[in-house]
Amino acid sequence: MIGVISYLVFFTTIAAILAIAVLGLNLQWGNTGLFNGGVAAFFGAGAYATILLGGTPQGEHIGGFEIFYPLALAGGALCAGLLAWMVGLLTLKLRHDYLAIATFGVAVAFESFVRNTSVMTGGALGLRGFERPLEALIENPFLYNILFLLVVVLVLASVYVFLQKLLHAPFGRLLRAIREDETAAQSLGKNPSEVRLTAFIVGSVIMGLAGGLYATFYAFISPQDVVPTLTFQIWAMLIVGGAGNNLGALVGTFLIWAVWTGSGWCLSKYAPVEAQIYTGTLQYILIGAIIVSMLLWRPQGIFPEKLVISQSGD
Amino acid sequence: MKGRAKIKVWGAMSAAMLCIGLLGNQVLAADCTTKIGVALPTSVDWGRPIAATTQFAVDLVNEAGGVSGCNIEVVLRDTQNDPKVGVDAARSLVDLEKVKLLLGAVSSGVSMPILTSVTVPSNVMQMSCCSSSTAFTKLSEEGKTKGLWFRTFATSEVQANAATILIKEQGFKNVAIFYKNDDWGQDMGRLVADNLKKLGVNVTTSIAINDGQASYQAEVAKGISGKPDAIYLALYPKEGISIVRNWISLGGTQEMVVANSLKSDEFRDKVGFKYLAAAIGTDTSSPRVDSATAFIDIYKERFDSEPNGPGLSNAFDATMIALLAMQAAGKDADGPAIAKEVSRVTDPQGTPITADTAGFKKAITILHDGGSVMYQGATGNVQFDKNGDVFAPAVAWVFTESGIKEERYVSLEEIKSFMDSIN
Repeated sequence: MIGVISYLVFFTTIAAILAIAVLGLNLQWGNTGLFNGGVAAFFGAGAYATILLGGTPQGEHIGGFEIFYPLALAGGALCAGLLAWMVGLLTLKLRHDYLAIATFGVAVAFESFVRNTSVMTGGALGLRGFERPLEALIENPFLYNILFLLVVVLVLASVYVFLQKLLHAPFGRLLRAIREDETAAQSLGKNPSEVRLTAFIVGSVIMGLAGGLYATFYAFISPQDVVPTLTFQIWAMLIVGGAGNNLGALVGTFLIWAVWTGSGWCLSKYAPVEAQIYTGTLQYILIGAIIVSMLLWRPQGIFPEKLVISQSGD
Repeated sequence: MKGRAKIKVWGAMSAAMLCIGLLGNQVLAADCTTKIGVALPTSVDWGRPIAATTQFAVDLVNEAGGVSGCNIEVVLRDTQNDPKVGVDAARSLVDLEKVKLLLGAVSSGVSMPILTSVTVPSNVMQMSCCSSSTAFTKLSEEGKTKGLWFRTFATSEVQANAATILIKEQGFKNVAIFYKNDDWGQDMGRLVADNLKKLGVNVTTSIAINDGQASYQAEVAKGISGKPDAIYLALYPKEGISIVRNWISLGGTQEMVVANSLKSDEFRDKVGFKYLAAAIGTDTSSPRVDSATAFIDIYKERFDSEPNGPGLSNAFDATMIALLAMQAAGKDADGPAIAKEVSRVTDPQGTPITADTAGFKKAITILHDGGSVMYQGATGNVQFDKNGDVFAPAVAWVFTESGIKEERYVSLEEIKSFMDSIN
């Protein structure tokens, strides 16, 4: 029984961390219509920066400043924001598919950067040697994981509440206005490019926060963590859950991650011994089939966006 | 709307059928089974044979009556070469399946987070066939593996030293290096280049090769411009094939020294043997003890081909040693207890045992009486140091018309004295 709880705690932790990143993407795509194809880069920037700032010195590597953990985490998120600011200035005048390709390129460049900058990021070997906060005090790993889960859930809840408030504020309406018709918004005296950049940066900071928590949880990060598959996973979670709806983004994350990992568990349990070595491939087919059938069944997502008319004329 | 409904019904039916089909095929458990966890990238082409070899070793042990009288059941999970997925698989193997022993993973970037966040905190022993990163040695030296980590794959350092010896013996003066741009490749490229510099051999260029590029024309052209008289390749077959074909077509030298990852029939066939006659490779192995040939024989019998893929011998030995240690530790032993027994089953003073059913049976009796055994496996008389690193001698091999032939052995002493001489 304790095993099941332990696994569920672990599963929920990872899913909640991913959910934070999905919420960040929802602000960009769901609410503002910015097609960010480089989620992995902003997630990774947060992850690497958190470990570099908060970790212990490792040999001749640059980094390992042992900064107080919450500050390191904030620094990680900030770093993702900085990257987003630079990328945003260069690319946000691009629309839709062009923006997607440009940001995808950024993610590939980021992976290549961390893979090759071995003096800072440890290259392909990755970065380790991170002392997880309070771990030395709580010796029991099971209790520690529960505590970690609570912290992650707290962060997730704060991000969720923040985004909900943001969306119901005038700024949220402005985002939707720009998404629907940029020219109309402009004609009302709004500055779309500034608003787009703001939304892009805020969304990326949230992704960076998720990355920081992720790297903290594993106390390890390597280029293998920031490959394009991550971007795909985050996107699948948002689309299946319902772009434009924060609750949908949450539910989509837990559902897709459950399918992604649960399919492997199911196959290892029920597939015949002779077929076991093919289950890896089968699992991919299963994951793909489930995502496709969900999209056929509910193309608008599980919880589609609720379109609000902000002022009903009477 | 009609179409939608149809899809729904069809989807529900196929899901139900899938589940019934799977349940129907569930293997009936024997009277007593012990589960072991295996996390390997089975969705990657070269990962699948490693998983098959692991299962093969388990089958041999089960034929010998299993471990402590219980059949061993492999719970195999795919890591997708994705750390998130790999750690989740390991976590569920440890928490839900309650395994005390985990075999895997292949890539160091997956094995490392599994080790630090799953197996060490949960006191589960982990043995990898294929992770070579030097980071594991450092981690162990810091005392953070609690002695639960082992690997049957020689560290990058041993592999690089063997390659250096071969390059020196061939008398090359200018060498270009191509390495896979991952943890293993970066280690290998750096170590070989360092060694060669110490020897006074000129490294013309050292080029990182990223996976999955459509063309390596630019990399190859850069390598060829330095006019090396030999190349050293630390690559996997897919990229290796592409690069060597490109290299030969541009008129590059056919003198090459290659890492064990290219010891594959696929590489030989797709490049063409006539271009590889001068190629020489390294691998970890041992003097021809009976068990090494025995492994090739039983492998051929089972799979109808030679064990020529990367990591196969290592995966076989990892499984056998881990199960022997499990046997030595007795029924229901936990991870640390199993890990402690690894030295008793790889004891150089112990009774030699072969890597097959008969050998395992013999080991059961000896271990039961409190004796120790020396496992002689597919990579030889495997021994581990205090960091769980294997020290294995090396072997040089060449391609032949029909396969791969081992050319000569480079003993551990030879490697050590050679390295001392240049340092």
